[in-house]
This record gives sequence, C-alpha cells and structure tokens, in this order.
Amino acid sequence: MDKKRSNKLVNFVTNPKYIMVLATIGIFLAIYLFGAIIYGDKGFTKLRTFAMLFVDNAYIGISAVGMTMVLITGGIDLSVAAVASLTGMFIAYGTTVLGIDPIVCMVFSIVVGVALGLGMGALVTYLKIPPFVATLTGMFLARGVCSLISRDSISIDNELIDKMAGWKMYFMTLKDGEWVKIKPVAYVNLSVLMFIVMIIIGTYILQKTRFGRNVYAIGGNEQSARLMGLPVDRTKMMVYGFNGFCSALAGIAYALYVKSGWNLALQGGELDVISAAVIGGVLLSGGVGYMIGTFFGVLLKAVIPCLITFNGTLSSWWGKIITGALVLLFVALQQIVMHGNLFKKKKGNPAVKKE
Amino acid sequence: MKSKESIFKNKLTWAVIAELLILAVAGILEPSFFSIEYNQTTGMLYGSLVDIVNRSAEITIIAMGMTMVIALGGTDISVGALVAVAGAFALKFLRWDVTLYPTPGDYTVYPFILVIVVPLVICTLMGLFNGVLIGKFKLQPIIATLILMVAGRGIAQIATNGKQFTTGYTPYRFIGQGSMFALPFPIIITIVVCACVMIFVRKTAFGTFVESVGVNPNASRVTGLKSDRIIMIVYTLTGFLSGIAGLIYSSRISSCDSNNAGVNYEMDAILAVVLGGTSMTGGKFSLTGTIIGSLIIRTITTLVYYFGITSESIMAFKAAIILVVIVIQSEPFGKWLATRNARKQKAGELRG
Amino acid sequence: MDRDVILTMRGIEIQFPGVKALDGVDFTLRRGEVHALLGENGAGKSTLIKCLTGVNKMDAGKIELEGKEIRPTDPKNAMDLGISTVFQEINLCDNLSVAENIFIGRQPMKRGQIDWKEINRRSRELLERFHIDIDVTRPLSQYSTAIQQMVSIARAVDVDAKVLILDEPTSSLDNEEVKKLFDVMRSLKAQGMGIIFITHFLDQVFEMSDRMTVLRNGHLIGVYNAGDITKLELVSSMIGKDLDQIFDLRRATQKEGAGVQLQANHIGVPGKVEDISFSQKKGELLGFAGLLGSGRTETAEMIFGVTKTQSGTLVIDGRTVKINEPMDAINQKIAFCPEDRKRDGIIGDLTIRENIALALQARRGMMKPMSRKEQDELADKYIKMLAIATPDAEKKIKELSGGNQQKVILARWMATDPDLLILDEPTRGIDVGAKAEIQRLMLQMCEEGMSIIFISSELDEIIRCSNRIIVMRDGKKAGELNGEGCTQADIMRIIAGEKVGETA
Repeated sequence: MDKKRSNKLVNFVTNPKYIMVLATIGIFLAIYLFGAIIYGDKGFTKLRTFAMLFVDNAYIGISAVGMTMVLITGGIDLSVAAVASLTGMFIAYGTTVLGIDPIVCMVFSIVVGVALGLGMGALVTYLKIPPFVATLTGMFLARGVCSLISRDSISIDNELIDKMAGWKMYFMTLKDGEWVKIKPVAYVNLSVLMFIVMIIIGTYILQKTRFGRNVYAIGGNEQSARLMGLPVDRTKMMVYGFNGFCSALAGIAYALYVKSGWNLALQGGELDVISAAVIGGVLLSGGVGYMIGTFFGVLLKAVIPCLITFNGTLSSWWGKIITGALVLLFVALQQIVMHGNLFKKKKGNPAVKKE
Repeated sequence: MKSKESIFKNKLTWAVIAELLILAVAGILEPSFFSIEYNQTTGMLYGSLVDIVNRSAEITIIAMGMTMVIALGGTDISVGALVAVAGAFALKFLRWDVTLYPTPGDYTVYPFILVIVVPLVICTLMGLFNGVLIGKFKLQPIIATLILMVAGRGIAQIATNGKQFTTGYTPYRFIGQGSMFALPFPIIITIVVCACVMIFVRKTAFGTFVESVGVNPNASRVTGLKSDRIIMIVYTLTGFLSGIAGLIYSSRISSCDSNNAGVNYEMDAILAVVLGGTSMTGGKFSLTGTIIGSLIIRTITTLVYYFGITSESIMAFKAAIILVVIVIQSEPFGKWLATRNARKQKAGELRG
Repeated sequence: MDRDVILTMRGIEIQFPGVKALDGVDFTLRRGEVHALLGENGAGKSTLIKCLTGVNKMDAGKIELEGKEIRPTDPKNAMDLGISTVFQEINLCDNLSVAENIFIGRQPMKRGQIDWKEINRRSRELLERFHIDIDVTRPLSQYSTAIQQMVSIARAVDVDAKVLILDEPTSSLDNEEVKKLFDVMRSLKAQGMGIIFITHFLDQVFEMSDRMTVLRNGHLIGVYNAGDITKLELVSSMIGKDLDQIFDLRRATQKEGAGVQLQANHIGVPGKVEDISFSQKKGELLGFAGLLGSGRTETAEMIFGVTKTQSGTLVIDGRTVKINEPMDAINQKIAFCPEDRKRDGIIGDLTIRENIALALQARRGMMKPMSRKEQDELADKYIKMLAIATPDAEKKIKELSGGNQQKVILARWMATDPDLLILDEPTRGIDVGAKAEIQRLMLQMCEEGMSIIFISSELDEIIRCSNRIIVMRDGKKAGELNGEGCTQADIMRIIAGEKVGETA
C-alpha cells in the first residue's frame, strides 16, 4: 500500500504535465525564503508584506486568469491592459463627470469588455486572423476610445466607490480572549477576494468541465480537436469573451486601487499579465498550463519588486531586468521539458502541427 | 502563373489604393495638405507630404527587418525597447556623467564615432541575443523577444541612471534634424537603408531562403539550408535597424527618453508589414509593400494631427483602418469573395 | 432493398473549383461487413469519406443511414449519427493524456463534473481489448506512433458507432499491430458494425474485406465480392492502365568492377542505431528493409547529416568524410528524399519552381543566386522529365497530389546531380501508377550509374528493385541478402529474428 502511494508520488512529480507548475512554486518558495533570511529583520516575513503582494497585484492576477485560458488555446491577447484602462475610464467618467450610478458603470464596462472580447474572438475564429494582430487591433481601439473620452486623468469622486475601495478584511488574532488586528496591520481588500475567487472559478472550469478540457484540446492540436467533433469555434469565442470579462473585472479592481481613470493607465500592462502567466508555467504554444501555476506566477512576479524595495539601494529598474531574466529562465525550462519528452515529435509522426 | 502573381500584386495594389484614398480624403478636406515649400534659409523642403515621409523613417527602417521576421513566421516585439536602448547609450556617450557636465551644449564627452557605433553595436548584439534564442534554442519568437522588451527599458534606464539626458551637439542633432539635397536627413537615411536591405535580400538568394525557412524550417534544413543561421541573421539585422531608428528618434528630440522612446513601435512596424501584404503566418514577403504600409500609418497619423484630433486617439483610427485591411486580407473573406464572383459569373452565363 | 444494408450513398456529386471530385457515386455498406474502398490518390476516396463525415458538402446526392436520410454537417454531427472515423493522420491531441484523448467531448460526468476516475478506468478496459497495457494518465506524446494510432482507433470504436471508417489505419503499424487491429475489426464486425476500410496494402484488402468498391477519377468503377476478383484484376480496375506496364520492372544490372561509392564503418547514434557497417558499389541499388523504428530512417539520416553520427566513420568515394549537417552531405553529392514528405520535404507555400531550385541554390550558397531564367529552365526540364501533373511551374507545391509532390522533391535532388541518392519511403501514400513511375525512374538512374539507397516497408517493391538488401532490426543491422532470388519469407525470417545464414 505504502509502496503504491510512493509510486503515485513519483508518477506525479515526473509527469511532465506538472513539472512547470512545480518549478514555479519551487522558485517562489526559494525566493521568499531568500527574502526571509536576508530581510527577515526588516519585516519581510510579516503577514502584512505577504498580504500586500496580493493587494498590489490583484488586478494583474484577475486579468491573468483570462489570459491563461487564451494562452492555453494557443492564442494571445494584447488588449487586456487597454480594456482594463477603458473600464477605469468608464467608471471615472461615468460616476464623476456624468454622475451615473457606479454599479451601472461597472455592469456597462463588463458588457463592453465581453463584447470586445467576443469581437476579437470572432476575428480570430471566423476570419482566421492571427490572435496577435486581432487583439492588437482591439488594443488600439480600446486605447483610442479611452483617449476620445478624456485625455486627462480623472479622479473618481463617488461614495460607493470609496466604500468599495476602502473595504478591508483585517487579519485578526486572539489576544486575551479578544479579537484584535495583528500588528503590523495586514488586510485583504475586495480586489484580492475577486482575484482568489477568479482563480478558483478558472481552475474549476479548466479541470472539471468539458468546456475547459476542450480549451486544452484546441491548444494541443486545433485540427484534431475539430475532427474529434469538439465545438472548436464556440469554445474559442467563449474563451475570448471570458477574457474580455476578466479584463473588465481587472479594470474595476484597478479603478478601486488607484481611484481614478486615465487613458494611459496600465500602459504595457499586457506584458505584465503575459509574463506572469509564462512564469506560471503556461506554454505560449498552447495546450499546457494550470491556473494554480498562474497564481504563483503572479506572486513570483510580485515578490521581486518587493525585494528590491526592501533592499533600498537598487534601482527599481532592476525589477524589469530580473523579470526578463525570469521569463528567460522559464522558457529555457519549458524548452528542456519539451526536448525531454512532453512535446517530442516522433519521427514519422504525421500528427505534427506545422503544415 | 498569372493568377498567383496577380494575387500577390493585388495585395500591393490594395495598399497603394488605401494610401491614395487617405491622401485624397486629406486633399479634399484641406487642399493645402499637398503644398510643398522650399525654405531658403534652412535649404529644406517643407510640407505635409515631406513630413509624412520624414516622420515615417523610424518605422520604415524597423519594418524592413520586421518584414523578414514575419516572413520567418515570427515576431519581434523588442524593437521599441531597442529604440530606447540606442537613444540612452548615445546620450550616455554624449554626456557621460551629468554631475561632471551639468549643462547640455554643443559638445560631446566621447568621440562622435563612439556615440554612433556603441549604440548600434549594443542593439545588434541584442538582436543577436534574440536570434540565438530563436534560431539556436528554438524558443518561440514572441516570448524570446518579450524578454528584451521587458528588460531592455530597464537596461536603458540604468545606462542613464533613470535620468533624461539632453544634448545640443550639432553633428548628433543633424541625424534627425538636418537636411541633405533639400530633404530632411532621416529621409536620406531611410532611402539608403531600404536600398541596402532590398539589394541584400533580392539580389542574393537570401530572400528565397527566408521564405523557405518561414514556410517549413524542417524541410529547409534537410534541403541544406542553415535555418538557424538564417533566423539569427534576420533578428540581428532587425536589432541593428532598430538601433538606427533609435538614433534618429533621439536625435529628433535631442535627448533620450527611456520611458517613451519607441513605445508601440513594434506594433506600428508589424502593422506596416501586414498592411504591406505580408502574411502573419510567414512565407512570401514584400519589402515594397512594407514601405507603403509604413507610409499609410504615418499618413493617418499626420492627417489626424492636421485636423487637430488628440494624438492618443489616433489609435482608434488606426484600429479602424487595420480592421478593414486585415478583414480584406483574411482567407475566409477572400474565399467568400471568390465564391460570390463565381456565382455572379454563373448567373451571368445563365442569363446570357 | 436489402435488409442488411446500413448505409447507402446514392448519386453523390461534389464539385471543387475546376474539377468534379465525385460524379454520381453510389456506395452501400451492409451490417457486419468490412467494405474496402479502393482507388488511386485523387480517385475520390477521401472526398467520399469527407462527405460522409460532413467535412465536405455535397452538391447532389443522398445519404441514408438505416433507411433515414441524413445530411452530416460536421464530424461531430456525423459521430452523433453513428458514423465514426479514424483518419489517416493521427488526429489526437498529444498534450492530453491517453485516457482523455479517448473520452474528450463525451466525458462521463458526475454531479456536473468530469469523472476522471471513470475515464481512466474505462480507458484501461478499452485498451485491454487491444492488448495494450500502458499508463493512460500520461500524455499521449510519450507513446509511439503505433500506440497513438491504436488509441485513435480505440476512441472511434468506443463511441456507439454503426459505421466505422478506417482511413489507412495500418500505414504506421507493424505486422504484429496490424494483426491486433484485424482482431478488433473482426470482433466489431461480429457485433454487426459496418466498417469502411481504406488502405494501399492490397494484401490487407484481400485478408479483411468482404466487398470492395473501386473509384477512379471521381467515378464509380465497380463493386466486387472478395472471392470474385484477383489482385491483378483489382489493380487494373483501380488504375485503368495496362498491367504489364506497371510490373515490367527490371533490376538495374550490376556493372562489373564498379568502385565503392559509400562505405559505412560501425556508424551509430547511441540509443537509436548502433554499429552499422555496409558498403555500396557505384550504380548499385541498396534496399533497406525492416520494421518501422528498426533504424532504417535513422541510418539514412546519419549518412545525410540530419542527425549527427556519434561513432564510426563514413568513407565516400575512397575518402573518409565528416558529415555534421545536411550541407556537408550535399557537398559530397549525396541527396535525400525524407520519409515524412509534408514535414521534411515540401516547402508548401513556395512554387514548384522554387522547390525544385532550392537544393541547388543552397549548395551554390546565398551569394550566387540563380537567375529567374535558370530556375524556369530547370523547373520545365524536370516537370517534363518526371511527368509532373501541373499546369505550370508557378503552382504552389502544396496544391499538388502526394505523388506529384514526391516527384518535385525527387526533381529537387536530381537537379543537384548526386552520386548517391537516399530515398526513404518514396512510394508511401501515393497511388499505384505514380508508384510504378517512381520505381522505374529509380532503376533508370541506377542504370545510368547513380547509387541509390532505397528504404521501404513494402517488401515486394524492395525485392523487385534492389541489387542487395540490408535488413534492420532493433537499431542494428540484422542481415544482408542478395536481391536476386530472395523472397519475402527470407526477409521476414530475419526481421522476426530467426537465424539465417548471410547470403551476401
């Protein structure tokens, strides 16, 4: 019985499907441990530091959920940051300039996000336009519309938004029979909850529903998926639609975070999202990736600037260089896994993807 | 034989027609759009048309390399960051240490040759880095170049300690602001660069090799082509060209701006290539088409500026035009058009 | 009407731009019958299948399944109707596990969630029927092509199908696996399933099928009962040509005192092929026989530098040479037509002209481009010489049929004027007529002094053409036979590992 269990464990660890995710988690733990040893005395290990990783990066994480799905189908979406920025602009302009109820603004943003996602999905699915180009168009469109609404940053002045942004769930501890906030104060906010809920939903969809498995099949080999009778077109449309939803949701989270809307907000943010997913072990060629990997990818990407802040002497630009190096590390790792066995194309195998 | 070639030419024709249409719209709305004046004191031609060609220089130069990158079935999204890198290093060598040389002026700390060569060498090496990752280690182009896109700006910032250097050094400013033969100097650079690239590509077998590797790298290797070397050459060349574009850009503004230099250049360059009729899926490419594509992008931008629309919202216009072009170029649309024509013909025959 | 008839297709017409792919074709399938669908490439077999699976829309005609008219709209719809297909190319997702590949799209659900345990359990059971015992939770990519093929067949038979279409299912299987497949087919047949069986192997047709339908150029030629027709008659109805023309092939005569073209001394790549030694005379056609994966292709790839030789030496024309990449081999006047035409041979989007000129251009180097005129002349010469069926040289190679693509690849290498030509499965997946032409061409080139290494899975063509035959087994050279007087049984005995005295 014991032997069987250990066999199962060996099987799990050596299964190439899981190597990337395990690597992400391993590296995150290693870096965290490194930080804990070097900057432990400065408070790196405090719960507050850890919670702030979430608070400061929730919007990236929410968007990364949708991006993970798009990447697994073998696509890419460059419009996410622009759509999020557009959402922020809708909320800021709607509530503060036009005086519309913030809930209406949010619902409207989500509708627009999903519609944009579906539109780009249609370009990709039905007109066979490369995802890169189609979503680039979407990005230009969203940024352009955003600038048409306003060129200046609009700070949000709305009671409900203030309330939502200010809502905090504090970590408590039992002291002398009374619940008190731990010191230093650590909390999570609405955006963090949204992030975690989205990760759970994403995991459920990918692992437990037929739709989710179709996403993997399409990424593995779209032609085959079609011939196996899977609803390829519908699935792709839904994936891009879902990603549009995630982008809008990320925009809401970002609006709550900065409490303003700006046409140039989140410039280059799509790369943050994509690199978070890649660091999380999602294969850009499609077919491989896990939500939990993306979750740790976001954390891993977040912990680096945090370490640089703790260091205090390093230029913050090192953050970018280290992120670049991490992406390099992970694609190198992916390459090793590929050449190992996961994606080894056998000689004479007619099922090669390149046509 | 005719039909295949005419389809290929068709794409070029589409691009030319699009450019002419946009110009026509401009001319109707504002007849002075076409006026060109010769300024005696500066010895330079002025006018919207000259401006379009002048301002398209950076994108045209980068897009020359990008065309072949795309023909190889890849993309290079690091070019914008390389533009920033080139500017940062050029200014670094012009000013070196701003605490020692606090005021910008008509001087350079290091010889001018270094100011030009070092940034170009660095950009070429970065292009080679991309090429090695993609050609030798078989990484996906988009992710291999993502590395430098993210890290490149960091490197540029560190080169100048995150500060924005400016310069008044005349020879350097000449690159982007000077003139030769009555034309702005960037136009001259563009002509020379495009001519060199086109001769290199079409008067040798390099172009065919690129197309072959782009369509089927495996088969190309078995046929005796050194696929990885060809890939490396193309990305290295693109890095070098980005460096030239970076020098022009930083010379235009007489300073370096690591945050904003070359932002979205990769997008514009890719669009220029796609508008020019080269398919994103790789294979056959057209450098002439790319030049026209780049002009289209700049014409739209200039037009929009001309009519006083805010610069950021240009993106919306770009998006609309790209949308039209990519839909027209898309395969299903072509098929739909073909079947519709066939049906019409059939109906005509029946009636006849 | 026959009560046993499960599927009828009547007057099927499909129009492609410029050609009528199918013209008034009828087809019937009975319950519990294996019905072979035969014809050359381009005869309309796959179009008929695609029509049945809803990939192609028919312009006229009627399909009835169990007496009810159906119009399949896509493979999924066809599957729902009870028509299940195994396509020639493995259409599975190799990033998914074996079990998931069998069940994707119709996973058993439990409380609204996918029931993974059930999927794995049922997959294991299903594969047991094929005597395959593997870890079904591992990604498909970790298994051999043969296993992948079996998995795709398992997927097809597990859906509750009335009609099973097998399109060239045996092309990547070895004899043992073919036997397993046939066992499964027999048991399905006994259950009353109607099976449409497409294959190029005529032996298999006669072994398995009850009836045969022959198509040619989109027309129905005839329907025959298995007992009523001989192989020769069948072939002649398939190609509509004089049979003598096809089988009148004579081995190239071995010239006396010809020098040694190639000598391989203990070459190998650890783990793939080891310790291969042989020598080849000038103008000799050297056949390589053996099962898939026995090291035939790997040996060829070593000689051509596609994979780097790790040990041993190659002597070409008396000189020891080092071949690290294909360019080195090309410089030694070696040419190589690879096995996987689509992956390693054709440059799909380039024209026939460019495809033909490519190898020569590569040898000349980048800086010495061939003029357009030179290319045109080269292309025209070979289109004529090899009778490549195309309106002109500017057609994209991917638009040609398999046989014509193969001829273009052949032309590409003939243009480099090689001393040694390696042909890896040059006749796989192409029709009988083109096959015979390629064989004749091969022999003619040998007669003119070229040395050829000919790799094939089909023993009869190896025996018919080769001067000498090297038999491979498990990455090693297992034996060497003289082409003259050798029989299929001799080769099979060596492949099977029985002791045989070397006759060479």
